[in-house]
Amino acid sequence: MSQRSNDPNPFDPFGAMQSFRDANLDAWSKAMLQLVSSDAYSQATGQALDAYLSTSAPFRRVLESTMTQVLTQFNMPTRSDVVSLAERLTNIEMRLDDLDAKLDALERRTTQAQTTQAAGQALHPAEEH
Amino acid sequence: MSTSNPQTPADLHTNLRQIEENMRTLQRVVTTRYPVAQTPKEVIWTLNKAKLYRYTPVLPPEKRHRVPLLLVFALMNRPYILDLRPGNSFVEYMVNKGYDVYLIDWGVPRTEDKNLKIDDYVLEYLPRAIRKMKSVSGSDEFSMLGWCIGAILSSCYAALRPNDGLRNLILLTAPLDFSDKQAGGFVRQVNDQYFDADKLIATYGNMPGELIDYGAKALKPVENYISNYVRLWDNLDNPKIVESWHAMNTWVSDLIPIAGATYRKLIVELYRENKLFKGTFQLRGETVDLRNIRASLLNVLADADHITPTCQSETAMDKFGSQDKQLLKVKGGHIGLMAGSSASKGTWPHIDTWLGGRSD
Repeated sequence: MSQRSNDPNPFDPFGAMQSFRDANLDAWSKAMLQLVSSDAYSQATGQALDAYLSTSAPFRRVLESTMTQVLTQFNMPTRSDVVSLAERLTNIEMRLDDLDAKLDALERRTTQAQTTQAAGQALHPAEEH
Repeated sequence: MSTSNPQTPADLHTNLRQIEENMRTLQRVVTTRYPVAQTPKEVIWTLNKAKLYRYTPVLPPEKRHRVPLLLVFALMNRPYILDLRPGNSFVEYMVNKGYDVYLIDWGVPRTEDKNLKIDDYVLEYLPRAIRKMKSVSGSDEFSMLGWCIGAILSSCYAALRPNDGLRNLILLTAPLDFSDKQAGGFVRQVNDQYFDADKLIATYGNMPGELIDYGAKALKPVENYISNYVRLWDNLDNPKIVESWHAMNTWVSDLIPIAGATYRKLIVELYRENKLFKGTFQLRGETVDLRNIRASLLNVLADADHITPTCQSETAMDKFGSQDKQLLKVKGGHIGLMAGSSASKGTWPHIDTWLGGRSD
C-alpha cells in the first residue's frame, strides 16, 4: 500500500517498495523496450515457439487420433463430424441469407409499386371509375 | 492506495479498515467481469459466428442523420471496446448524436473456421451484412468505420466495391504500409527468419488469442505487465479509476483466436510482403487497389501507437483514390484514442464533426 505523504510510515509495508518502484519503473520500461525491439529478442522468442510447437505437435496428433478412435468406438460424433456439420450449417445460413436478400428486394419493389400506384390515383382519381 | 500516517489507535483502525476495503476492491476487479456493452441493441443479421447489431436510436427520425454508420472492429479482441461502459462508449456517443449505428461482431472462430480467409470476411460476410443494414435503415448510402485489422477489411471492401454506396470511410490506426521493417509493432516479431506462421497454424488450426495477446503485450512489457497493475494499486480508493480499469481489464482479458487462414494471409502477404500497399494484394482473384477508393476518407492515427506505428498508415494517404480525404493525428495509443478517458473530448468529437457534415 502506498504512502502519499513523504513521512515514513511504519504501518505501510509497501511504502519503501513504492519509492523504489517509482524511481526505477521508467528505466525498466526503456530497457525492456530496447530489449523487445532487438533482433535477438525476436530470434529467441521465435526459437522458443518453434521448439514448443515441434515438441507438442506429435502429442497433439496422438491425442487427436486416440480421441477419434475412442469416440468412434462409442458411436459418438468426432471432431471432424462436428466440423463438417458446422460447415454445412454455414452453407445453409448463406442460402437463407440469399433468400432473405431476395425477399427484401421483392418487398422493396412491391412498396415502390404501391407508392407509385397511390400517387397515380391521387393525381387522376376519375380514371379509376 | 492512500492511507494516512496513523497518530492514534483509532487512525490505525481506520487505516486497516481502508486496506481491507481496498483488498476487496482489488479482488473484485481482477476476478470478475465488468458489465460491458450496455447500449441497447438488437441482432438484425447473423452468419456463422458473425452478428450484425443495430443500436436502438434515441433521437426521433427527423433529428437523425440519414446515412447509417457501420462499425467494423478487428478480428482479434471483442468489438465491445466501442461500447465499453456507459459514459465512456463511442457507440453511445454516436447514437446520442443522431447516427443510426450498426456494429459487426465477427464472433469467435472455432476449428471449423480455420480456413476462413480475409477474402471471406471482405467479400462474403461484409457485403451480406451491409446488404442487411441497407435494408433495415432504408438507405442505399452508408458510412463505415474500421479500426486496426477492421480498417484493413474496410479499406479492401472500399477499394473492391467502390460503387456499393459507401459514402464515408473512417480508418482508425489502419496498418496498411509495412515497408519500414524497423518501424516496431508486430513487423519485427513476425519476421520470416524467426517466425514460422505455417507451423503455428498447422499445429493449432487457428491463431490462439493467448499468443496474440502475448505478442501485443510484449511490445511494451513493463507497461502491460507491471505499470498497469501499479496504476490500479495506487488508485484503489478512487472508484472512477477503478471502474475504468475494471472495464478495460475485462476487455483485455477477453481473448479470441483469429481464423488460421486469415492470420496466415495477414502475416505473409501484408506484414511481410506488403502486398496491399504495393497494389498486388488479391482477394478471390480480384486485385485490391487503394486508388479505387472513392468514398470521403478520414484516416485517424494515434501518435503514441505502438501496435500500428503512424508510418504504417500515414504513407497510405497518397494511395487512396478519394478526392475528399483527411489525415487526423490524435494524442493517445492504439486503444486509448477511442477508449481512453480523453477520447470523448478528442477523437469522438473530431469524428462526429467530420462525419456529421457528410451524413445527410
